[in-house]
Amino acid sequence: MADGQKVYEIPIGPIHPALKEPIRFTFQVEGERIRGVEVRPGFAHRGIEFMGLKRNLIQVLYLSERICGICSISHPIAITLAVERAAGIEVPPRAQYLRVIFSELERIHSHLLWAGVAAHELGFDTLLHLTWKVREEVLDVLEELSGNRIDYSIPIYGGVRRDIAPAQVPKVEAMVRHYRGLLEELLDAFLRDPSVAARTRGVGVLTPEEAEALCAVGPTARASGLSKDVRQDRPYLVYGELGVRAITPRDWGLEPRGDVYDKAVVRLLEIGQSLDLIEKCLDEMPEGEITSFPKIPALLAHLKKAEGEGLGWHEAPRGEVIHYIRLEAGVEEPVAWKVKAPTYSNLMSWVPMFRDQEVADIPIIAASIDPCMCCMDRVHVVRDGSGATLLMEELLKLSRAKTERVLRGLSPAGGGA
Amino acid sequence: MTADQVKEALVRAVPGLEVELRPRKVGVRAPVEVPELWATIGRDGLLPAVSALKGAGPLHISIISGRDLGETIELLYHFAVGYGTPGGEVMVTLRVPVPASDPTVPSICSLLPGAETTEREKIEFLGVQFSGIPRTDHVFLPDDFPGHPWRKGDPETAKLVKRTVEWEKRDG
Repeated sequence: MADGQKVYEIPIGPIHPALKEPIRFTFQVEGERIRGVEVRPGFAHRGIEFMGLKRNLIQVLYLSERICGICSISHPIAITLAVERAAGIEVPPRAQYLRVIFSELERIHSHLLWAGVAAHELGFDTLLHLTWKVREEVLDVLEELSGNRIDYSIPIYGGVRRDIAPAQVPKVEAMVRHYRGLLEELLDAFLRDPSVAARTRGVGVLTPEEAEALCAVGPTARASGLSKDVRQDRPYLVYGELGVRAITPRDWGLEPRGDVYDKAVVRLLEIGQSLDLIEKCLDEMPEGEITSFPKIPALLAHLKKAEGEGLGWHEAPRGEVIHYIRLEAGVEEPVAWKVKAPTYSNLMSWVPMFRDQEVADIPIIAASIDPCMCCMDRVHVVRDGSGATLLMEELLKLSRAKTERVLRGLSPAGGGA
Repeated sequence: MTADQVKEALVRAVPGLEVELRPRKVGVRAPVEVPELWATIGRDGLLPAVSALKGAGPLHISIISGRDLGETIELLYHFAVGYGTPGGEVMVTLRVPVPASDPTVPSICSLLPGAETTEREKIEFLGVQFSGIPRTDHVFLPDDFPGHPWRKGDPETAKLVKRTVEWEKRDG
């Protein structure tokens, strides 16, 4: 048909089924083929850097943790490294190992989360349920070690807030053994499955030249064959000594093609790498102090006197995160704070990845860079078997009421007041 | 490429440039020094400097950060030179001060297309203009937001903050 040449514009988002965070894509499509895309983020912008400039550094640390629930170790690691650099604070050796252990635990749960999302986008929900079921194991360990499933509050300027007690070590080791046994099954389910390969091979390709020019980071760059990993290239904490090597599809015996399949290869193999790193850290970690400032008032006083600037970087599950901070003596707040999350760098990679692809592949290509999920502004609560959607204000009231009940020594669940 | 070689390449491109080496001791068992280079550069020297960094190895821009100093706006370009070299990447920060009365900087997108997002972010947040940038639309703020939140005393941002505080008070 003559109309076959016509290019239509299809807006998708900000709220859409492709991924669970708001973003707007405007696709130019010709029939079933995508000819171009405009990406518009910013719908979850909360002005966190602006807020940080009005708060003292300890408050900024907790704020940084709330940039993203899934990366709630990555941002604190980057900001503590930046502040420690600016204020000349040393980190005890044991704390450096502990930070690595927590960030590798985070990588495992994040990559498993992505694997589930990817399976779901492919219409393979059995695999989604399997990966998210097995993900609980690492979340349980994180809860055991930190008290929380996300937002662990582990790094603090000068060290970490909690140690891993000797009684907890066997639980971490058991988790490592559990995932070692499971990994082969997961690799088999994803990488040796003909239907997964049919949906992901040659889909959403990012060439190494494009990845380099567009400054792609993390698994998105490594899947294109760039041997690039901040842990390997720009050592920090004890990563240099642990001998981290960037994983590319070559480690699975394949020449990198930069498609969605290769992104799955990299992320799944990195789970194995994280298990090795955790085991090595538990083995090599020396005894000793976990922070150089056990008292918060002393830490705050030191930070208030500090003058300087610093950069802190970390390889988050999605790639390079970097924080820049500038401190001035006599001022409690940072005078400059800039945060760069990995998705920020990978944003532009979507444009070549979508080019000439099919409309039906939009969800999996969008999900393939593992865009960072943001906090939702409301939740769905089920009480007594009945569902109800609560707005933030209502939730806040319920939470305050619960705190009051706890303070009066009553049951947190309510009913007896 | 070592930090010294990157430094030499920068000085060749911008004669008289003072480059400060700030090494960072990293590691516990066998500590190593991870180099970081910092230099303050005029906006005219930016393109030759970035071109020299590109020649020194695969170039990656992590971010452009910045702040409002009153009469001057300071931009900090954070680069990783030798992108993907095990243990050999060098972080280079170029500090570019521009007058607040004429906040224009040459865009580096022709040398490094990946810098577009971060340059566009500086347009909306600091009110800096980049000559030669392919696109200038907002990345994070609403399209019609008139202010620049990182400028000190920006009236539009002050209005936004006031509205938010009032909204939160209502909740209390």
